[in-house]
Amino acid sequence: MNKHIHKFIVISLLILLISAACNQPGETSSTHYITLRDGLGREVSLDSAAKRIVSLAPPNTEMLFAVGAGSQVIGRDTFSDYPSEVTEITDIGGSFGEYNQEIILSLQPDLILAGGINTPELVQSLEDLGLKVFYLSNPTDLEGMYAMLQTIGMLSGHEERANQLIDALKERVNQVTTQLANISSRPTVFYELDATDPAKPFTPGAKTFYTSLIQLAGGENIAGKLEAEWAQISLEQLLTWDPDIILLGDAMWGETPEKVAGREGWGTLSAVKNGRVYAFDDNLMVRFGPRQVDGLEALAKLLHPEVFQ
Amino acid sequence: MKLKQYPFLSLGVILILAILSSILIGSVPIPIQSTWQVLGSLFSSNRLINATHVAILLNLRLPRTLLMLLVGAALAGSGCAYQGLFRNPLADPYLIGAASGAGLGAVIAITLHWPANLLGYLSVPLAAFIGSALSVGLVMQLARVGLDTPITTLILAGVAVSSFATALTSLLLINASGELRRALVWLVGGSTLSGWFPVLAASPYILIGLVTLLTTGHQLNVLQFGEEQAQQLGVPVKRVRILVVLAATLATAAAVAFSGIIGFVGLIIPHILRRMWGADHRLLLPLSMLGGAAFLLIADIAARSLLAPQEIPVGILTALTGAPFFLFLLQKSHYPKE
Repeated sequence: MNKHIHKFIVISLLILLISAACNQPGETSSTHYITLRDGLGREVSLDSAAKRIVSLAPPNTEMLFAVGAGSQVIGRDTFSDYPSEVTEITDIGGSFGEYNQEIILSLQPDLILAGGINTPELVQSLEDLGLKVFYLSNPTDLEGMYAMLQTIGMLSGHEERANQLIDALKERVNQVTTQLANISSRPTVFYELDATDPAKPFTPGAKTFYTSLIQLAGGENIAGKLEAEWAQISLEQLLTWDPDIILLGDAMWGETPEKVAGREGWGTLSAVKNGRVYAFDDNLMVRFGPRQVDGLEALAKLLHPEVFQ
Repeated sequence: MKLKQYPFLSLGVILILAILSSILIGSVPIPIQSTWQVLGSLFSSNRLINATHVAILLNLRLPRTLLMLLVGAALAGSGCAYQGLFRNPLADPYLIGAASGAGLGAVIAITLHWPANLLGYLSVPLAAFIGSALSVGLVMQLARVGLDTPITTLILAGVAVSSFATALTSLLLINASGELRRALVWLVGGSTLSGWFPVLAASPYILIGLVTLLTTGHQLNVLQFGEEQAQQLGVPVKRVRILVVLAATLATAAAVAFSGIIGFVGLIIPHILRRMWGADHRLLLPLSMLGGAAFLLIADIAARSLLAPQEIPVGILTALTGAPFFLFLLQKSHYPKE
């Protein structure tokens, strides 16, 4: 009798050990803190909220700080520069699309947040090194941006803070749209991304944040029907469109309304004649994150000064 | 002077020094002692070592070193064979479409939005390889006049097909939505895959191509007298031409597929070595492979240390240093002594 019990205990212990050993690499689903599907369609699981995070894209860094996970960021790409304390965090490269994998490895991160600008090959390489990577696709409207904030909040263990932030942002957006509810006209807007060649400026087309934010701010992106994300148009096309307002997203590279007035052929545009050419901080548009709501408010004020005094 | 008497010895020493530096130099300083411990642990069961150091040395530096070595040998070896085959100092596989075809293939794969499973990661290098091989094949086909493939038509067809492929690539880039950056990253620096996979995938093609090229040294020497002469001297000219083009394309396409378009290695390395040790292809071919491997390794070390933590795509560095150095050599010798 005693012998049998002994045998039983030994065998069951053995089975337990073996199954535990088998389970260790992947199948401990019950202990997972969270499992989410990322932008590449991969199921990514974390055993606990990420404590040592490397961000590979400026919007990721910005959102991590926004949800209160700033102190968990131990590495960031070269282009991450907001908020300003980011510059003190270890730079892991990123220009030319080359990230310094040696430095990333030596930081021993428990999560790497990749963004839309990163290649799937890079994600694969980092995974091959035994690192955990979550890929965040670029959002194209505010709803997508909120979802991204929430995902980052969940991964970093700040879900509640993220939800509060999202509610506050939604409230601000609401205020803008209620104030614009009774506008009588929707001005057409030409958003200039680059006019190094003033005869062939670049402008954002459909399915970009620019188009959706200009829409929300009570205007119409005049290039919003172009299929290309970054469209290069001719000056002739611009003259035919003759937009009500021109926004200079390239103001940070030194373009000014005065320079625009001096460009060959641009003087006949209504926006130039009526003095409705404005410099605009492109970071409020192109960097996915809470600052885009700042961008929306700034846009609404420029497009409808009669509503916002 | 003594250096000149032992070409293989001196290039071999340079190559070994380059390999060692490539393993020892990186953004994360690893003491020489732990480097030896990690490398030693490959052959023993010593597990008392820093796991991060192991990963950096064995999964990043070692495969990268081997890939650069293979790619450098492939580019310079193919360039040398082409210059011999065409008796033209400007010839290299890029001239007849190997690079532009690879670029087109990669950009097609990127803009097609393949799903990100394993084939997805393989798809870009695979498409680059196919694009490279297809465009060289197309050039060969177009350049054929009857049963012959005259060199002039081959080069003209190469230039035309290259321009066409480049134009198609630009067109795809203009219409690319969201994939633009990924495509540009490929065109500037190649696939961003690291680790052992690229080495394992590229090495069979590169090795088969290079070993085949090594067997053609004598025939390339005879070809320097002109094709008719060579034919009369018993060299099967057409067969040699096809063999060299196939082998060089195989090696170059595999190299370009993973490391992107790296210019000037195929052009300058054979030139420099020819000036030092003469134009005997039986020596020049293996020397070019050794020299190309060493040159690309040194360029790659510079690429990742000059602006650290930033990494410069190595193709930019090879062109940036290779072109002026080449001009300097031409200037210095005023005109060939040989």
